[in-house]
Amino acid sequence: MQLALFSAFARFVTRHRFSWQRVLWSVAILARMHANCVAEDEPLPTTDSTFQDIVSPFLNRYCVACHNTDEPTSGVRLDHLTGEFADEQLRFWEGTQRQLSKRSMPPKDEPQPTSAERQRVIAYIEAQLAVARRRPAPKNGQIRRLTVAQYRNTLRELLLLDEDFTETFPADAVSRDGFVNTVETLSLSPRHLETFLHTAVRAIDAAVVDTNTPPTIECFQVDFGRTINTTPCPDKLILGANSHLLDNRDFVVDQPKLEKPFLFQPFQLRTHYRFIEGYRGNDTVRGWREFDSIYHAVYACMRGSEGYPKGLAYQTVPQGLLLRPAIPSAELFQIESTYGPKANFKISVRELPDEGEFRVTVTAAKYDDGLLLDDAILSRTAEVRNSDPVIVSGRDIGSSATVKLPTAGIYRIDLIRSQTIADPPPELDVQLFLAKREFSSRSRSTEFLVVRLAEGDLTYRVEVNERDSLERVDFVLLDDAALLAQEFARFERRAPLLGVHLGLRRDCGSTLTPVGSPQRVDNLEWAEFVFQGAIRDYPSPDVEADNVNYLAGLREIGVRSEYTDGRDMPRLAIRSVRFEGPFFPTWPPPSHQQIFGDSTDEAEQNADELQRAAAILERFASRAFRRPTTASELTMLKRIYVDARNEGATFSDAIKNGLVFTLTSPQFLFLIENSATPAAEPLDDYELAAKLAYFLWNGPPDSELTACATAGTLRASLDEQLERMIADDRFSRCMQTFTRQWLNLEKFAVLEPDRDRFPQLTRDARHELENEPGEFLQYLIRENLPVSSLLDSSFVVANEVVADYYGLGDLSESGFQFKPLTHQREDLGGVLTQAAILAGLSDGREPNPVKRGAWFARKIIAEPPDDPPPNVPALSEDLRDLPLRVRLERHRNQTGCAQCHAKIDPWGIAFEQYSAAGRWRTDTVDAHTRLPDQTEVNGMLEFKQHLIKDRLDQVTFSFLKHLTTYASGRKLHFSELESLRDQQLNLRDRGYPMRDLLRSVILSPPFMEK
Amino acid sequence: MLRRIDRRAFLQGIGGATLALPVLEAMGDDVLVDIPRRFCALYTANGMSLPRPEHEIDEWSWFPRGEVDGQFTFGKSTEPLTDFRNAVSFLGGLHHPNGVKSDPHVCSDMWLTGAPLHNPLPGTYNSVGVDQVIAAHTKARCRQASLVLSIDAGTGFLSRTGTISYGLDGRPIPAENNPRHVFNRLFRVDGNTTNADKASLARNMKLVDAVLENARDLQRQLGNSDRDRMDQYLTSLSDVEAQLDTAERWSEVPLKSQDYSHLNLEATNEGDPAEYYRNMFDLIALAFDADITRSVTFMLNREDGMGISDTFPLKLGLTRTHHNLSHAGDKDGQLEFAKYDRFLCEQLAHFLRRLTEYRDRNGAVLDNTIVLFGSGASTTHNPRNLPTMLAGGTNLGLTHGQYWRGDDARLSNMYLSVLHALGIEQASFSDSTSTLSCPIFAS
Repeated sequence: MQLALFSAFARFVTRHRFSWQRVLWSVAILARMHANCVAEDEPLPTTDSTFQDIVSPFLNRYCVACHNTDEPTSGVRLDHLTGEFADEQLRFWEGTQRQLSKRSMPPKDEPQPTSAERQRVIAYIEAQLAVARRRPAPKNGQIRRLTVAQYRNTLRELLLLDEDFTETFPADAVSRDGFVNTVETLSLSPRHLETFLHTAVRAIDAAVVDTNTPPTIECFQVDFGRTINTTPCPDKLILGANSHLLDNRDFVVDQPKLEKPFLFQPFQLRTHYRFIEGYRGNDTVRGWREFDSIYHAVYACMRGSEGYPKGLAYQTVPQGLLLRPAIPSAELFQIESTYGPKANFKISVRELPDEGEFRVTVTAAKYDDGLLLDDAILSRTAEVRNSDPVIVSGRDIGSSATVKLPTAGIYRIDLIRSQTIADPPPELDVQLFLAKREFSSRSRSTEFLVVRLAEGDLTYRVEVNERDSLERVDFVLLDDAALLAQEFARFERRAPLLGVHLGLRRDCGSTLTPVGSPQRVDNLEWAEFVFQGAIRDYPSPDVEADNVNYLAGLREIGVRSEYTDGRDMPRLAIRSVRFEGPFFPTWPPPSHQQIFGDSTDEAEQNADELQRAAAILERFASRAFRRPTTASELTMLKRIYVDARNEGATFSDAIKNGLVFTLTSPQFLFLIENSATPAAEPLDDYELAAKLAYFLWNGPPDSELTACATAGTLRASLDEQLERMIADDRFSRCMQTFTRQWLNLEKFAVLEPDRDRFPQLTRDARHELENEPGEFLQYLIRENLPVSSLLDSSFVVANEVVADYYGLGDLSESGFQFKPLTHQREDLGGVLTQAAILAGLSDGREPNPVKRGAWFARKIIAEPPDDPPPNVPALSEDLRDLPLRVRLERHRNQTGCAQCHAKIDPWGIAFEQYSAAGRWRTDTVDAHTRLPDQTEVNGMLEFKQHLIKDRLDQVTFSFLKHLTTYASGRKLHFSELESLRDQQLNLRDRGYPMRDLLRSVILSPPFMEK
Repeated sequence: MLRRIDRRAFLQGIGGATLALPVLEAMGDDVLVDIPRRFCALYTANGMSLPRPEHEIDEWSWFPRGEVDGQFTFGKSTEPLTDFRNAVSFLGGLHHPNGVKSDPHVCSDMWLTGAPLHNPLPGTYNSVGVDQVIAAHTKARCRQASLVLSIDAGTGFLSRTGTISYGLDGRPIPAENNPRHVFNRLFRVDGNTTNADKASLARNMKLVDAVLENARDLQRQLGNSDRDRMDQYLTSLSDVEAQLDTAERWSEVPLKSQDYSHLNLEATNEGDPAEYYRNMFDLIALAFDADITRSVTFMLNREDGMGISDTFPLKLGLTRTHHNLSHAGDKDGQLEFAKYDRFLCEQLAHFLRRLTEYRDRNGAVLDNTIVLFGSGASTTHNPRNLPTMLAGGTNLGLTHGQYWRGDDARLSNMYLSVLHALGIEQASFSDSTSTLSCPIFAS
């Protein structure tokens, strides 16, 4: 009994890291419970006598009456303070010191201490705080669960499977600093363990195949081209409201024979169906009808394509299907869309595989397109016209004719109206054929199109809805230097962005989800573009086996020219779309081969079964555990295998048991730092490799890092490895995750902006704007730019969508790729003025200086304001109509509010020039503010200058503090924060280059020691 | 050889060892004939509308302000519940004594627990919630101990919780929010157990045994490293083992055949709020009807403008966010806040209707279910007079149609009364001092 108690007690002490207060507490409890078991003469540590004799009586006399457990006025209690200055008490001590120094406490109407009393206590607190802040934290080795994102990335790389198995995982909690990878908040519940177990089973089932059964593979292809189908389906189909099927003659569906380097079973699409509903649209029941054609299994379908602003949304031409960028419809703006974007082209299909990976291969080209002219282009390219232009006129309307062009070049095509026609000329529906190229649009002005043409004979034909209204077609040669020619040259250089989506058909609304990223289609020649994904990552229609509705259970493969900001874009030409799934590059697939090893390895093949099993399991577990397996782990793995075999499991199933075991083990689920003593110890090389990878890649170490750890060269080659890791694509996962959490972009993600006031803040724009801060930070770090760039920069890092949002669309030609753009604007540059941040700190209607101020204080200068105390009094009613700024002032001046708001609001006022959508406001605003240190600044520009000039050290510290917290996955100890401050000074002279700061985080004790 | 671990011993080891285990032995006959007693807690954040008298819109008060013949009359925001007059009661004047001392935003964290969050015990954050006490007592009799739902998945974070359920150890239980996931987990996985399912269950039980042993080995080798973390892992895994054990026994019992055709599993919290709530409530009702679980919590929205539900009033055509409305002092704002209450009451009415349609052997499911609907604040950040409504449970001794006003009575006392009504004879719960002396509960 005594022994058990003692060891429980010893364990309690170890666990609670030498907190003597707790030891005392536990002693007291144990003593009460087992008075006879604990020796009475247990030595009690002496507490500091100054505290006992002077400070404690002082607090009791002047403070505790209002600040105690039961009545923590303003959220402060002081009755529990001890001379120990434990970490969790430091902020109360700091507050007490501050209040006493400023003489703001005790309140005027309460008994006051003498000056000497006050000074003595202040001096005591200061001295003790200085000691406490330097006190090293015990280091006992961290055990940190993988976050959901880390688990996802780890499983992907470990099993070589695309599929995201984490969809049903409980979300990770957010720490006070905003991070989800903090050990203190990474909870573990039975539901987590249940999920880990089920996920391990699912993932291993997906990775390991039955090699004795050849796979069944579905493959179909749709080809496009005007009238290419010589035996079209005779049925006219309706696929719900507002859908426009392609003409049955314009596409062919086929199940081509796949060439694969292994034996497989082709899947035959079912073509025979019987339906009673849905084949005349949604609402009609017409009686049973039989269908028997592949064209009732796969269709080419357009939706919501009418009213495209310029030209036709889509068009079939002999070579294929032409698509203009898919404009997100008004419906897409924050609520679920009804018909998707215009042009919303998709292939509907009844049967797709249930699981596995799939490939969609699109044969596409950039169409040799012309630029359709409109008032906007004409007005911005207006200039003094060449007085003697080369013009070739064609007078044949409505039939094929030929003109002879004197030279190759850029031509403007003018449609000259008949003289008799009224002014202004009526709009015409025009179809223009130039050799094999086609252009269709509604034309309002004479100038119709700009296009590049070759020298010599050109066959043309022009069709208009009112033939008599047109007199002739003029081909006007443009000087290459002409503004319009330059505009065309920019247009011509652009490449449509091909995107593939997968979803399911619903009566209204699209569920299409992108497959991979859009790909640039640069060439005029046909090329194949491959999109790959895991089928279960996309919504699937669950339809009962005996479904009787023609429209139920359809999947859709969307193919689009992706929209960025509405700029003119050459059309995307699609010749064919092929689906293959499940997709296996080899058989068995790489996921399987990686686990079971190379079947040509003779040593392994010749080994006996148990040896083989051991080799397979050891190899897998070592990768999963991010270090070599121990002897006892290997024994356990072998035993699991043998047990299963003894119970009749196949070799493969017995191995799978070992794999599931591995993925459920703490060695896989936790990042474990094994520590022998409370003193700081260096990480071992495997621990370091893992820590680096989960910091810089948010995922597991790759083979090179592990090889360095094995060879013991990781520390020696650390800089080389860092460089490699930062240059790697996976580094963006770190930058996006860290930036989102540091700067709290979650707020922006869930914002519901006022659509009338901020129509530009569309769902798609928001998606891109949300990535901006992370892309920006990544650029600063990769380029090793000074930390001042965080506050102000002559460039923004933007793609076309983001650039357009800031009114810089003309500078950007990078599609969805983020690139630095020099902006030459006063309202842009640095993170403080990025829309995702400023809008995220509003309610979508009005900007909120309090939120912005609190965010700034917490995130940018690391002076987090205190939490609002309980029972904040409401502002009195008569203030409601006053401007927010005045209301804030009143609020600030109320007792109980002033203390904190004086440290929040002045920062927020500096942001007043920006609207709730994060854009420069056009109305006049007062952004004049007196900062807490009494510096006066007027507006953002002065504010930034002040920060760069006077507060750069502080901003650097905040960045370092947050980055170190994220990197080490825990809350930092006071002494660690203090040494961060010292450490950063080394880089001060060089203006704190950002990559060097990141390197210093990695080299710092919180990261390197356990 | 692998040391076999007695799963029953584990069961006993979890959650305070007070479970009545004989039930397990009697599994089969007893479980199948017992009539379920259930609990469902529904939480709405930011309080309910109790308009200021000077606005003269008393008829929009959530607590009834009118009376006819000594009986309360429903206000406009609770009018949708008129049909259930004899199945619901209002309770006024309740509070958590610890709530008064705490930051007002933690009121949802402590709603079901009453924990002293302003001064937590060393090493703890919260304490067990009443729903999880019930779950611990009912879990051996149904397929799942509890169903924890919320508008946002996961746990949220300290003081801005995304779940109202706290386990026996006081840790938050992550909530689910997606109707399809909930449906698949409850009605697909455990349904119609096949031999293959049984084989995989047996395999999982063995694997969990092995993983437990491995984890203990590891813990022994770990020297000084964070032991709390490994303890958490071991406790959680033991719990999973207990679940597998329950599942193994349940695998013999087929899932009740039910009509799911009214469900729209595409509904998500990003779509139409009414559609979303309706489907979540339908799932709870189905789960009760099939006796999948007997303890359910559903956090309808979150404090302080967190999460997506803050925007629901806007989606419904009101002009401010939920959190902003809760702070409104002006007439228009208070009226809008009340209209949002009405919207929520419409959802509640739908739920109660469903529970009336499903039948147990001795009456409607509602009659064997205590439904609690409430909030952790009355007017803005006021942790007293918590808006509280009880519905159902008339077979469990509850008498409805009342508006009872306590004088600063403890919410924990009411929870103790609820526990007793469910047949869980604890001496106390959290900071309770007694059961609630209130005519709604049979004395």
